[in-house]
This record gives sequence, structure tokens and C-alpha cells, in this order.
Amino acid sequence: METKEFTIKWGMAIDLDKCTGCGACMVACQAENNLAPIADASNKIKVMNWITVYELSNGKPYPEHDVAYLPRPCQQCGHPPCVSVCPVIATDKNEEGGIVSQVTPRCIGCRYCMAACPYHARYFNWRDPVWPGGLEKALTPDVSVRPRGVVEKCTFCHHRWMAAKDKAIVEGRDPMDLAEGEYVTSCTEACPNGAITFGDLNNEDHEVAKLASSKYAHRLLERLGADTQVYYVSRREWVLRQLDNYLEDEKVKG
Amino acid sequence: MAVDRRGFLKFVAGATTGVLATPVPWKLLDDVSIWTQNWPWIPRNVDGENSYVSTISKLCPSAAGMKVRLVGPRPVRVLPDDNHPLSMGGITALAAAEVQLMYSPSRVKRPLKHAGDGAFVAISWEEAEKMLKENLRRAGSKVAYVSGDETGTINELLSGMAKESGSEDFYVMPSEVQPAARAFASMNGNGQLGYDIENSDYVFAIGANILESWGTVLRNRAAYKNSHPAAEKPTVKFVYAGPVQNNTAAGSDEWLPAKSGTEAIVAMGIANLLIKAGATIDAPDFAEFKALAAQFTPQKVAALAGVTPAKLKAITAELSKAKRPVVLTGSEFGQGTGVATVLAGTAVNMLLGGFGREGGVTAIPLAPKVIASGMDRAEIADKDLVAYLSRISAGKVATPRAMVFYEANPVYGLPQPAAMAKVMDKVPFKVAFTSFLDETAEACDLILPTPLGLERFDDVESPYGINQAFYGLARPVAPCVIDGKPAADVLLGVAGQLNMDLGFETFEEVLQAKAEAAGADWDSLMEGEFFTSDAVAEQSDLRIAADVIGKALAAAPKPAKLSIAPVQKLNIGTPNTAIPPYNNKTIRRWELQKNEMYVAMNGATARELGVVKHQRIKLSNSSGSIQARVNIFEGVMPNTIAVLMGFGHTAFDEFSKGKGENVMELLTVGYEAGTGQSVWNVAGVNVSKA
Repeated sequence: METKEFTIKWGMAIDLDKCTGCGACMVACQAENNLAPIADASNKIKVMNWITVYELSNGKPYPEHDVAYLPRPCQQCGHPPCVSVCPVIATDKNEEGGIVSQVTPRCIGCRYCMAACPYHARYFNWRDPVWPGGLEKALTPDVSVRPRGVVEKCTFCHHRWMAAKDKAIVEGRDPMDLAEGEYVTSCTEACPNGAITFGDLNNEDHEVAKLASSKYAHRLLERLGADTQVYYVSRREWVLRQLDNYLEDEKVKG
Repeated sequence: MAVDRRGFLKFVAGATTGVLATPVPWKLLDDVSIWTQNWPWIPRNVDGENSYVSTISKLCPSAAGMKVRLVGPRPVRVLPDDNHPLSMGGITALAAAEVQLMYSPSRVKRPLKHAGDGAFVAISWEEAEKMLKENLRRAGSKVAYVSGDETGTINELLSGMAKESGSEDFYVMPSEVQPAARAFASMNGNGQLGYDIENSDYVFAIGANILESWGTVLRNRAAYKNSHPAAEKPTVKFVYAGPVQNNTAAGSDEWLPAKSGTEAIVAMGIANLLIKAGATIDAPDFAEFKALAAQFTPQKVAALAGVTPAKLKAITAELSKAKRPVVLTGSEFGQGTGVATVLAGTAVNMLLGGFGREGGVTAIPLAPKVIASGMDRAEIADKDLVAYLSRISAGKVATPRAMVFYEANPVYGLPQPAAMAKVMDKVPFKVAFTSFLDETAEACDLILPTPLGLERFDDVESPYGINQAFYGLARPVAPCVIDGKPAADVLLGVAGQLNMDLGFETFEEVLQAKAEAAGADWDSLMEGEFFTSDAVAEQSDLRIAADVIGKALAAAPKPAKLSIAPVQKLNIGTPNTAIPPYNNKTIRRWELQKNEMYVAMNGATARELGVVKHQRIKLSNSSGSIQARVNIFEGVMPNTIAVLMGFGHTAFDEFSKGKGENVMELLTVGYEAGTGQSVWNVAGVNVSKA
């Protein structure tokens, strides 16, 4: 299947050696995208997280043990498995920027996309969202609140791109030629360790494009061929090995 | 008209083609999906003009600098502030949730008093202030004040009120600050220790959880960020020594396993090797220190702290080789460490030529106090709350007649909380100034709601760890969403009525005076600017305080056969905030399942104890007991059980209450020999199957 190409391709490079698993990205994401809190968040299957941080282990016993953390937003696949199965075109990849859209009002909640997504990046609203104690007053105006019965996912804070383009237009600049850093996702902005780099993968001047071409950059389940726009960077071989299914004696690039 | 077979098939074919060709069913399906999402109980987006206010967090212990985004009059987001020295473009998981905490279900919405039947009754502010005044008058000098704020000038006000009533009993909740301040004072030091991590080329944290909770975390993390370019070799090596591969260890370039509470021993082992390699300190008690350090041979350090001699030698060699190394010592869970921990760490820095050097340790000046009768930071650091409560328990000092808690939650946050709560039960009148209905508030007779830092004026002066003098204001970004009053205003009013002379009528005047004393410009502070100064506190006759280290380490408790290692994470909140609504999703799968917490141990320890993953166990010692399930995590030292802090709240709301158990139940208070500082960084535990 051919990957649809765009002039701008927003992408992310996450340095797994710099992530300490503090969770600031997850909190920032929820507040930015109006996800509802939940009293019992221990059932990870039913909890809504557009970005979630997984713990990785090198599997060795103490004292050789090493740990890493892997933040997982939507991988924004080049040819996304979720798009081809959506019966109502509630999710699509046809807009400049290469962000896989999620039009929640159009979603009929069939959850085919969730079954198709190899990254568990999609979440179904099993219940109506509840903001106790007036918490809804802190909702941002940027992202519509989703009711029960629809699927949602990370949109690379698409509204921030719209805002950055609007700002450029108002200032008389070309909205398709934003400076690096003018548009970043909420998780990128929040990360106190600078583990997340965001930008245009097609722009060689952008840091993310340089990182994506690094020998230490891999993509999650890269050999599935989804051609994702999120790259993971690590100088640790055991970390890179966990990003895909390798045979025991198979070498990992990097 | 009869319908023949052909006619019927034509009709079916026509109808099918029609249905497929017309957009009506698809449009209807689309409409159904849209209209079935338009329920009145689903909140609508409310638009407005965006504005941003720079301020500083009073909830996050790291005093995070931040930008608050407002939409119209509503604050909606806490964002990092690139230009703030206490944010440097990052935000903590706790500060990121601060706007949402304004609407937390556990916020106290109006003044409450405890009725005879145990219920809380809403009362007016007038009645509440009258009750406070009368009880403080009745208590006279038998009053104690407890503050949960480490950096605010309100501590001068609270301690001033204590002193004006003839009491010396003002305390701040224990943290890293007290042992550090007492350590520097015993060195004849002047000012507050600061650590220049950003200019260092080798950062060695012994215990100090520098990438999660120690000191000015966002500043520490910015230094880490800048020295660890993505996909490249780090330019500065970060090494973390501690019992658990925690968040700091995960980010560090090397984890050096070292038992809980042995930070001073590890530092002394390094000091010994450095001295053997020719390092000296120009201090009057260096000879004494040298003799003391010589006792901490690599073999002894290995026996006491579990650090292998080869590793200790390798780290020492790297420290010696570095041009601007810095060593940071503290507790891996931010409290309970002794004075000797900081002294030994500072001595290593001195041996490395790091005292007063760029990329090393410095002493920053603190602003003088502005409330004459109040206590300054050095005096406050000398006051030990845990020791005070223990003395009351032992009948060595009289129980106060009144206790005032200011944004402090000792009933949850102190070691052996049940014993501490029992002491507080004896106090006839207790009042809590708090934003949330926490455990301490529930134990009080009067609860007075305070606006959050986003809703009031407050200040932050030089949080511990920062390497330059700092002064900044927290400014109200929005009106208070509850019927709250700033504690400082209430207390100043009451103080006036009790004829106390604090020298100020309003808290704004106090802050203005403090800003002036710090050398800051009030007008620019009000515009969201902050004050920093590179001035250094002058030192004379600085010593190592070898005698203090010697006494403390000679009598240090021996690590137990099976130890507890509390793990602190800011995303799980503090005793004051509990788990913020958005943050419980950040708790990992095998940290909490429903209301049961997990504790972590390595496979060898589990085998020795005869337990397996998910097994329910009981951890107990002389202080108390908790129940948990087992998680196997190989990043824990042998014979050590890692227990997350922040669980086991009995107050607050559905996001925190009843989730897991409180590790503080297992922490036993001891007293450091020589200094008398209360310590609880070593705790043995027994495990049984539950």
C-alpha cells in the first residue's frame, strides 16, 4: 500500500533515554484535550489516555537490571490501519500535515479502528464523561467534549496547529511555513526533560527530521509497515529491541 | 394489480439501487451519530479571549514556575514558562494539574466547625474568626503553629504570632530543608546551600531524588535536558545512588545501588578515597575529618551500604577526573534524613574543590526577616516538629491548648501518623487553614478554607537547592471559587484583635517589605517578573563539622535485614494535595489495582520471602502495618521493599480516599546522635502472607 505524502508531515521523536516516567505529559494531555478524570484509573483497558507511559525492563535480574519509559501517543501512521476499516470515515488521513484525524461526531462507536490499531492508541468512551465538583469550568475551548459511545485518540493537538496557522495568517505570514516550535503538542511542551521533539519530518532544518534519521531512531513495530510518524530514540540496544519483534540472534540497527 | 415474480424482482432491484444511490440513509446515519451525542449533560466548549499570567506554584514542592492560560476569566491550563528560572520550559506532573485542583471535589468550600456529634457544620466567617480569636486568647502562650509552606513569608507571620503569645512553638513540616540548614549552621555557614547543577560536568546524587522531587526539580531537569542531547552521548554524567531504580535512576547514566539511609556512609567512603588520593580541605577540623573518613574503607562501605568497592572506587575516580563535579545528598523520599547526610556530602564537595566554585556548591544569602517578632529561616529550620510531638507524647513538654495548622497535613504526612494523631487528639482546640478537606482538617475543631496559590497573593523565597537567591510572587489569576479567605489576612486580623504587634496591617504590606528586603522591585514582581541575584553569602571560619558527622555515624542505626524504601513521585501528589483528579491515570498498573497497592521487590528477595507476584502480603514493624500485593521489579536492592508514598488517604475525595495504604505507618522515628534531629530513613520490616 502506498503512503500518502504531504508537503508537511508532523512528527515526533521521543528519546527513551531521557524519559523518566514522571507523567507530566499525561496530565498535560488530559487537561489540554478535555479528557475526563476517573476515580478508579487502575483498569487500564477502560481508562482514556491519549498518551500513556509504559514501563520497559531489560529483563535482567538485579543488579544488571535497567528500566526505561515509553510514552505512547497516536503514532500517526503513514497508511493507518484504522482508516481503512472505519465504515463512516470518522477517521481519515487526507489533510496536509499527515495527522490521522478523528471526527468524533461522525463516529458510530463500532470500534473496528480499535481492533485494527496495533498500538492500542484508540480509546472507547464506555461511559459519559463526568467532571465532578465544577471541574468542567477548567475545560479548554479547543477540543469538543466527547460523549459515551465514540472512539477517540491523540490528534497531535491538531487545534494547536490550527491556532498557529491562524496566527501566521493574521501576521501576514505563510501558514504553511511555520517556524520550528511555533506548533508543538501539549506533551512536547510539558516534558521537563525535553524527551519529546516535535516538528516537520519533511523539513530537514527541523530537529525532529534530524533525529528521525539518526541510527538510534526506530519506530514501534516498524516492520508492520504502518510507516508511523513517531520515532523512538535510544542509545540502548535492549530498548530498541523491544520496539519490534526480533529473533533472538537478529541484529538491531543502531 | 397483481405482482408477478419479474415485477417483484424489479422492485427489489430498484429499491436497492435507490437506497444505495440516495444519500438519505447515510445522512440519517450521520445525523443519528451526531444527535445521539448532543446530550445536555455533556459540557459545551465555552470560548473567550486567551491570556497568560506568569506565576509560581504554591502547591508543588518544587515551587514550579508556570504560565497560566486563561480563556476569558477562566483559568484552564498550567503551562511551562520558558523564561522562569524555576520552570525553564518544563512543568511537573503535579503543577500541571493545579488549575483542575481549584475545582477538586475535596476543596473546603466554606468555614466549617466540628459539631458535637462529629459532623461538620458550615458557619460564617464572622463566627469562625470569633471562634479562632477566643480560642487563641484562651490558649495564651500554650499555642503551637504548624506550617506546610517551606518558602513563604507567612512563616514569619505564624512564628511571630506564636512568639507574641509567648510561645516558641512554630514548626514547618519536615523535608530536606531542616537537615540541610542545620548542617550548614553547624559548619558555621552563613546563608543557604545551593547546588550549581547546570554548570557542573559530573552530577552525583546520593539519595537525593533530583529528577523527581529533590530541590528545584524543574531546574535540575533543565540541566539534565541540556546535558543530554537526544540521540547523542551525554555531555554531563548523572549518577544516582539509592536503593531503588526510581525516576532519577531511570534518567541517570548510572544507577549505583545503595541501601536506604546510608547516604552519609557512601559520601564518607568517597571522602576517604579522595583524601587518600591527596585531596584536602582548608578547614580547622580537617585532621579530625581525615581520621573519621579513614574508617570508611570501601569494604566497610560495602558492608553497611551495599555499594561494591569497585563501584565506589570507579565513581570516586570519575569525580576526581571531572573538572566541575557536584555531589548532592538527601533522602530518596524527601524527608527523614539526618544532618550528617548533608555534612558528609558537603565535605565531599569541599574535597573536590567544589565549594564556591562554578558547577559546585555555593551559599546563597537569604533575605532578612521583616516581622520583627517572627523567626528567620535558620531559626525555623532548628524547630523539629516530629521531635516536639514525640516530646508531648512522652510527657516531657506540656500539651498545647491550641494548635494552628497552616496548609499542613501532619495527620497523614508524618512518620508513625497514628501516634502523631494521638498526640494531637489531646489538644483541646485545633484549627486548620487548608484548601482541601485533608486528614488533619478532619481532626480539627475549626476548618478555614484558604484560596489556592492561583487565587491569592503569596511569595516564594529561595527554595532549597537553587543556586542563586530568588524571590517571586504567586499572584491571583482568578477569583477564589470557594468562600475562602487568605490565611494571612485572617490571622493578621485576629492578631490585631489580640493586641499582637506584628508591625503590619495587611499581608500585601508584609510581602512588599519582604520584596524590598530581598532586593526585589515590587512593581515588576506584580507584573510577573521575578528577582534573582548571583550574590554569594560571605563565609568565615567554615568548618567541616567532623565531630557532628562522627557522633551521628558512630550511633547510626544498622540497616535491618529487610528494609523499607519509600519511593516519592510528584504525580501521586503530596500530603496537602493527595492525588489530583487527572493524576490517578499516571499511576502504573502494578502500583495500584482498584484500592490495593503494590509494593516492589526483586525476584531474589521474593524467593527468599516465599512470595510471588500479585500475592497479598502484610508488612509490619513496631510502628504499624500495611497490606499490599507483591510486584516483582528487579530495580530494587536485595532485602529491600520499595513502597510508593502518597497512597492510603482516609480523607480527600474519590480520587485518593481509600486507595492503598500509607507507607508512613511503617517509618519509625529515631534521633540522630549528637544533633538530636529526628530521622526516619531506616526502617526494618517483617513480611507475612496476608
